[in-house]
This record gives sequence, structure tokens and C-alpha cells, in this order.
Amino acid sequence: MVYYISAILLILIGMYAVLTKKNIIKIVIGLSIIDSGINLLLIAIGYVKDATAPIFSDSSLKASGMVDPVPQALVLTAIVIGLGVTSVALALVIRLYDHHKTLNIDKIRKLKW
Amino acid sequence: MSLSPVHFIAVPLLAAFLIPIIGRFSKEFVKIVPGIVFLYLSYVAISLFPVALNKPVVEVIAGWKPPFGISLYYGPLAAFLTSLITLMGFVIWVYSYKFIIREPIEKYYMLFMLLITGSTGIILTGDLFNMFVFLEITAIAAYSLTAFLRDRDGAEAAFKYLLIGSFASAFFLLAVMLIYSQVGTLNFADIADKMNTVSYGTKILILIFFLVGLGIEAEVFPLNGWAPDAYSQAPSPIGAVFGGIVVKASIYALMRIIFLFFNFNEVFHFLLIIGIITMLIAEMSAMKQHQIKRMLAFSSIGQMGLVIIAFSVGTTDSVQAGLFQMFNHAVIKAMLFFAAGYLVFHSGSKNISALDGLGRDKPVTSFFFAIGALAIMGLPPFSGFWSKLYILLSVADAGLIAAVVLVLTASVIEAVYYLRVVSRLYFNKETASHSEVRRTPVSGLVAMGVLAVVIIVVGLYPDYLWHMLKPAAEELINKAAYIGNGLLK
Repeated sequence: MVYYISAILLILIGMYAVLTKKNIIKIVIGLSIIDSGINLLLIAIGYVKDATAPIFSDSSLKASGMVDPVPQALVLTAIVIGLGVTSVALALVIRLYDHHKTLNIDKIRKLKW
Repeated sequence: MSLSPVHFIAVPLLAAFLIPIIGRFSKEFVKIVPGIVFLYLSYVAISLFPVALNKPVVEVIAGWKPPFGISLYYGPLAAFLTSLITLMGFVIWVYSYKFIIREPIEKYYMLFMLLITGSTGIILTGDLFNMFVFLEITAIAAYSLTAFLRDRDGAEAAFKYLLIGSFASAFFLLAVMLIYSQVGTLNFADIADKMNTVSYGTKILILIFFLVGLGIEAEVFPLNGWAPDAYSQAPSPIGAVFGGIVVKASIYALMRIIFLFFNFNEVFHFLLIIGIITMLIAEMSAMKQHQIKRMLAFSSIGQMGLVIIAFSVGTTDSVQAGLFQMFNHAVIKAMLFFAAGYLVFHSGSKNISALDGLGRDKPVTSFFFAIGALAIMGLPPFSGFWSKLYILLSVADAGLIAAVVLVLTASVIEAVYYLRVVSRLYFNKETASHSEVRRTPVSGLVAMGVLAVVIIVVGLYPDYLWHMLKPAAEELINKAAYIGNGLLK
């Protein structure tokens, strides 16, 4: 249960950072925190009480004594996707800094409704 | 080598990875690779089409049968949409051949191939997490392409798109997580089978997450703030890709999920209202725009609102009309973006006021723009007339007269701002000074010409396409058949 709460807290902290911070780097960090929170939530959903990692490291382990491996596979993919998105975001931050010479998002918001 | 739907995903992906390697040896050959890919894909599409109409092809990947493994579901709907994407991709490649002249060219084609891979994957897949992966592939390629022109506004539009798109993927992943925790499977057919065991409150929560996640990509109100910036700052062929391919794939994903998992009446009523609001607000915003590509972007959002209205009525006729409108909108909007691209290039400014009098300097391009404007307004004998007519007829058949009235109001607003631009092209004196008269390259004219021919032919003989869409519409609505086919019963 505590894992669910901490994961949701992480997501909320990340959203707070994205929505209220003025520095672009902090916004990108907030995005990364949201990704971590979601991945943690996904793994927590797959948890089975008193079970171990889903790897047949010992021949006596049975499949019923393992946690659900599907969320773990999903999270591996999601971590890599988060990596890709964060790197594109940082590349865009570099380009924005080159043009505007500031990291303050209020000064960068030129394109209006 | 036997043909299978996997080729639609595998071949562009392979091409995307080979393009940087080929680029080291020959820059010229890089420009031809997408053309080869699209010719091959159209061959696959044409040969698989009759097979899909007969019985949907369920392609099992890597030997793990559903519901445990990932499978591709290639039914009439997927066949229609992949054929549309192949056609649009080919035309956009022809247009980009001479339009993209600034370096780095091979990165552009690589990202373009990745966009095609991602969009086709969204349409073909029968597995929920696989759809997430393809959504992300499409999204990352789209973010990068928005910022392709190295100017200040491009980076800002791409960053805004990235922020909002990351929220979209976060919500989608949350929805996937909730479904997995309730149902224990990720295969579309299996989830549809077991969805009635989920409690009502949880279903609504999952639905909200899906609506937000996919609605951001599909540009429904109020989640479409990123779209005007992205469409106008990206290069014009990429604007055509966004409006013609990416948004179609997202709307397909949204509709597939809603028709399979959540097909009860309140959802459709809600969608209808959302579609109407999207359409009205987008059309009204389009009227206020001063830049031509932003105007086209808002018009695109409005047309997607119309498609959502058509889908949300839920009858076979309305879904068929919605699919027809998707096809027409992709073709027409691409042609409008192509023409606008060269008009902007010639006049040197993105403003509509700079387009005064260009009908004299660039007669052919302006003519294509005028055809596109008339077609999207719904004038006969162009294809837009038939799709709008069928949508209005099917909505009226369902008794929703208020919706018909609102759609017609939006059409009037559309007519205002499109005719405004067309009249400025032809009837105003030239106000902006042009450095020299540059002729539109042949590749651009060929691309626009092909689309114009499609518009006119479909406008004069709509029945052929209309009848081809009926099995596609029936497939979307028929949940039991999807479950039966998808689980390989």
C-alpha cells in the first residue's frame, strides 16, 4: 500500500513542478519525476505478497511464488521511452537557450493563442 | 517472401535505420529511399486488401498466440487506413523531394519514416501496450520534426508539444495500468471480452484517462493547445503529415478503444458534445488568425471535431461517413498545406496579408489552394461535398437536428475564412514586395496535382470509395466479431 501512495505522491510532485516552475530545466526534471512515479506505480501493481523476482535463478522456484513479470516488462520499455523523451526535451532546451539566452519560460512564451 | 501486415511496420522502420548509413555514402540516394519504401508498401497494401475484406488477417508476432502475445489485427478498417497512410506518405515524399533543401536532409527522411512506422503501428496493433510504444515513437518523431527548421519559434512550439505530449503518454500509461490491474490482460480482444467484469466507477476512471491521453494527440477540445503552434512551425510537408496521418491514427485509436471497451450510450453522448464544442471553437478561432498555417491548423482541428461527431452517433452509416470524411480531410488538408507552403515560401512571410495578389504570380499553386478551399468547404463537385452530406444525413437520421444545425453553422464560418484567403489571392493588389518570381518545383506541382485528381475523381464518383468503406465501418462497430477474430477462435 505504501508503494501506491509514494508513487502517486511522486506523480503529483512532478506535476506540480511542471505546472508551476519557471525554469525550463526544472520543468524537464518534473517530467522525469512523473515518469518515475508512473513506473513505480506500475511495478507496485504487479506485486504479489511474499513473492520473489520472476527469474528462475534456482530450479526449485515455482511460478506461483513470483511477482507478475508483465508489469516489469512494461516498465522496462517505459523507462527507455522516458529516456528518449527526456533527451529530446533537453536538446530542445539547449536550442531554446541558444536563441533566447534565458531559461525563464515566461520570457520564452512568444507564440500566443 | 510471403506478404503480411508486419511489412507495413518493419519496412519503414528498417528504412529509418538504414537512412543515416546510406547518407554517409550518397546524399542523393537518401532522398529516393522513402519512395522505394512507399512503392513497396502500396504493393503490399493493394495485394492484402482483398484478403482483409474477406476475413481479417490476424498476424501473430513471434509465435506467442493471443491473448498472451502481441498480434496485429488487419481488418478492412486497418486496410483502409494503411492504404490512406501509404498514399499520403508517397505524396508527401514527392513534395518533400524539392521542398526540403536545407541540411540535414537525411535526418528529415529518417524521422519521416519513423512517423510512418509509428502511425501504421498504432493502426495495426491488437495489443494495448504495443499501441503505447507506437504512440511514443510517433510522438518523439513529431517533436523532433516540429523543431526541424532551426528557428526560435520552432523550438518553442516543439517544447510546448513535448510537454503536452508527455502528459498524454503519462495518462495513457495510467489507463493501461488500470486496465491491466483489473482485467489481467493487454490484448484488445481479450480486454473487450472481460470488460464487463470491471466495476462502473473504475470503467469511468479508465475512460477519463484514455480520453485525456488520446484526446491530446487527437486534438479534441480543450486539449489541442499545442496543435496550432506545431502545425505552423513545422515545415509544410510535416504539417501535412500531422494533419493527414498522425491525427487520423490517434482518432482511430480513440475510437477503437471506445467502441471496444466502452460502448455504452453516455459515452457516445459525451463524445458528441465534445465533438461539437471542438468544431465550433476551432472554426471560430480559425477566423481570427492572421497566419495562414495557423488558420489551416485550426481548420484541421475543426474537421476532426466533425469526424468525432460522425463517429459518436454510432450507426453504421455515420461511422462510414466519418471514415469518408477522414479520407477526404487527409487529402484536402495535405494539398492545402502543400500550396500554402509554396505561397509562404514565395511571399517570404507567414501572414495572410502577404498573400495578396499572388494569384497572378503563382497561378498554378493558387489554383490548387482554391480547389482545396472549395473542397474542404463542401462544395460540389469536389469530394468534401459528399462526406459532409453523408455525415449530415446520418446525424439527421439519428434525430440530432441540433447537431446538424451546429455543423452547418460551423460550415458557414469555414466558408468565410477560406473564401477570404482565396479572394485575397485573386482579387487584391499585390502589397508585399517579392524578391524574384520563383517557379514552384515540379515535385510540388506533381504532389498537388495527384491530390487534386483524387479530390475531383472522388467528388465525381464517390460510390466506389463509399462502398469500400462499409465493411470498415461495420468492423469498428462489431465488437463480437473483433473478439472472435482477435482471439483466433
